[in-house]
Amino acid sequence: MNTKTLLRNALLLAVLAIPLLPFAGDYLLHVLTLIMVYMVLAMGLNVVPGLCGMLDLGFVGFYGVGAYTCGLLTMNYELSLWLILPIAALNGAVWGILRGAPTLRLTGDYFAIVTFGFSELVVLFLTNEIWLTRGPLGLPGIAPASIDLSWLSKAINPEWDWYWEFIGEKPYFYMAFVMVVGVFFMMRRIEDSRIGRAWFAIREDDLAAASAGIDVQIYKVIAYAVSAAIGAVAGSFLARWTMFLSPDMFKFWESFLVLCMIVLGGLGNMTGALLGSVVLIAMGELLREILPRLGMPAETRFIVYGLIMVLIMRFKPSGFLPKIADAALHNPIIVELRRSLKAKGVV
Amino acid sequence: MLEQQLINGLTLGVIYALIAVGYSMVYGVIELINFAHGEIYMFGAFFCATFITAFGLPFFPAMALAMICCACLGVLLDIFAYRPLRRAPRLAPLITAIGMSIFLQNLAMIVWGSRPKPFPQEALPAFFHETALTFSGVQLSWLQLFIFSLTIVLMIGLNLVITRTKTGTAMRALAQNQRAAALMGINVNRIISFTFMIGSSLGAVAGILVSVFYNTMYPTMGYNAGVKAFAAAVLGGIGSVPGAMLGGIVLGVAEALGAGYVSSLYRDGVAYAVLIAVILFRPTGLFGKAVRQKA
Amino acid sequence: MNASAPLLKVDGVSKQFGGLMALSEVSFEVLPGRITGLIGPNGAGKTTLFNCIAGVYTPTKGRLLFDAADGARRTNGFKPERMTALGIARTFQNIRLFSQLTVLDNVRIGRHCRTSQGLFGAIFRTAAQVAEERRIVDEAMRWLSFVGLEGKAFFQSSALSYGDQRRLEIARALATGPRLLLLDEPAAGMNPQETASLVGLIHAIMKEGVTVVLIEHDMKLVMSICEHLVVLDHGMKIAEGGPRDIRENPQVIEAYLGRGAAHA
Repeated sequence: MNTKTLLRNALLLAVLAIPLLPFAGDYLLHVLTLIMVYMVLAMGLNVVPGLCGMLDLGFVGFYGVGAYTCGLLTMNYELSLWLILPIAALNGAVWGILRGAPTLRLTGDYFAIVTFGFSELVVLFLTNEIWLTRGPLGLPGIAPASIDLSWLSKAINPEWDWYWEFIGEKPYFYMAFVMVVGVFFMMRRIEDSRIGRAWFAIREDDLAAASAGIDVQIYKVIAYAVSAAIGAVAGSFLARWTMFLSPDMFKFWESFLVLCMIVLGGLGNMTGALLGSVVLIAMGELLREILPRLGMPAETRFIVYGLIMVLIMRFKPSGFLPKIADAALHNPIIVELRRSLKAKGVV
Repeated sequence: MLEQQLINGLTLGVIYALIAVGYSMVYGVIELINFAHGEIYMFGAFFCATFITAFGLPFFPAMALAMICCACLGVLLDIFAYRPLRRAPRLAPLITAIGMSIFLQNLAMIVWGSRPKPFPQEALPAFFHETALTFSGVQLSWLQLFIFSLTIVLMIGLNLVITRTKTGTAMRALAQNQRAAALMGINVNRIISFTFMIGSSLGAVAGILVSVFYNTMYPTMGYNAGVKAFAAAVLGGIGSVPGAMLGGIVLGVAEALGAGYVSSLYRDGVAYAVLIAVILFRPTGLFGKAVRQKA
Repeated sequence: MNASAPLLKVDGVSKQFGGLMALSEVSFEVLPGRITGLIGPNGAGKTTLFNCIAGVYTPTKGRLLFDAADGARRTNGFKPERMTALGIARTFQNIRLFSQLTVLDNVRIGRHCRTSQGLFGAIFRTAAQVAEERRIVDEAMRWLSFVGLEGKAFFQSSALSYGDQRRLEIARALATGPRLLLLDEPAAGMNPQETASLVGLIHAIMKEGVTVVLIEHDMKLVMSICEHLVVLDHGMKIAEGGPRDIRENPQVIEAYLGRGAAHA
């Protein structure tokens, strides 16, 4: 185990230990969980502009689809979150494909505009289809998440009742943590695979990608589906965590915020997506505290966001971790290859 | 009252057209979707109202001054935010534009507060809200008549500038091929500034007219209007000035009809539907050049 | 399959862009094992023809017949990725590498069409997926050492010298497992040493059983390695034959020298 892995594992353990600390109140855990939700979103969005090079301005649409899928299934059918997650992911993927298929030939600005329009239509739908979504009133009182293993425990011992309801921030914190680690792990593996390489090839040069034998359209559709599914998973979590949804939560601003995160971190870099989420959410919370003390309304923190984006584009346009396809370098096959090349003295 | 709806739709349509022209011209010369254009429109309204209330100016001078201020704002926006990124990858100026839009919107909130405000009616000519014409049950107020005539005058003026002046010719040259234009001795940055100036001052007029028409203005008003005007620009064929004018009018009427016949709830959805449909099925719009395909 | 049956048959191919006739009624055959050169003045339609063969453009008229493993096959209108899968690989006149990726990844991407693992394999790293990845790396390294870039496998491809970038593009094309390789001006921008080693490389490629067709302006190179030449001018084939015949062909001389000896 080298120092880098050691450091990473230490960091993971430290994060896991946070809820056990005496000063870790609900507010801190809430903010950390929020950061993790955005981490998942950022990793999901990253697939399209980061790995495939297609600017997506409407990612929040899938977040909304996932959230409302979960909220409605919970309220109307009382389904367990664990059952809802795959359904929501699937529903997200379907919408990703429905949005992606007609726009396959579009690139650049055209694609960006259509994605933007799509997410605004999602918000309009959520606002206006009151019979389904209760419209602007939103969905209050969504049941919290729970783990129900009573069927198992009862089978072992009728006295036992393995049923936990998620109360307070702690369980959600841990669940979000598992989600982030899971998605990160999954995305790094996809990135370092035949599919990930095909995406990078499309991002770099789609004609050259086609000439190298990649069916550009199919791989774009896969990217849209994967990206949207991850967005929908984050949405499902949000629904059961905040226990309230309204169309306002899925406005364009959110898409831009998530886009900022991955641009700040470095488009196409999964670690960068994580970094971007931490920086922007933490900064938002700090500003929310600081600005009122300076006599400004807390909402004006957005002015800082706007300014930061402008400055980053000006002075650090490829973000803080600009390296792409770096997961491949940690693949055992590649590590082994490097070692043998070094041994042979060719490098 | 379908006819009345139509007239109202037409009123809004010409205003969309005024904003759309700004999007289209800027896209024509630097191929950038200037997201912050909606905020310039909003600033127009607030500037004008501020000049009336704070400095006691009458309506028309206040409007002229607001136009000048917005023209400066547009030029500054280009110089400080967009010009340094002329050679950057396309994502950079686009994100910068969205960033500037958010910045300006929140700046307005800090300066003027986030609540909707009425337009200072006392400065307006009293007859504005009186009915000017009535035909077959449709009422047309003096204000609407004023909006129509002002817009038409501005559009004709703009067309003259673009087609008859040296600067206009340079603008069109730039839209065709920036490098060739530069080689022909055209001062590219000056022409781009000029484009922002014209687009922004027209946007300011639109903002003022809308806030007078609805008697309200608020810092986020630029978002919806911006999207609609942008849809209008795409509908007309982005980059084409007459296209943007026509696109605005068509969109305004389509919204009125959509609200009347389909569902008033989806009034705002018309713009998005038009936007997506045009891009998918007729990317060049009614008459214009295609948006650049390669990012 | 007859040994002398053409690998590729271009049969009366025309390509029209609006009012411009970029290619008109071009016909020739590419025989397996014979290096074919495609020459002609700038704007003669050489790259357009390549793009038709490689599936980037669909010919307006005519037939393209590629002797795929399952017998001669009309390939008009096939998309580039399908042509690559059938066994036609190409390089580009202005190098098109995946510039932010490593040299190795560029070549690994070339293996895409010969491999099959999907999302499931990638996420769960199944034994089959790992084995396939290993094969991809081995193949990629084989082609990298074939073009002499083994030692630069982990360089970012945009950091390579111009000549190395051309070689990398060839390695990526070879990794797709082609039977026909289209090289679009492979020597452009190369210094004399690089050009000399390119000649060696092209011969080595032929030895691997891959047939090469190249577009080239460097007449010394063309005359020294091509066994068969096709000359285009204004989208029309004006001559075809061995290097010696072409050199003496009056029409070819006129096409080149008639407008100044810029390319001779």
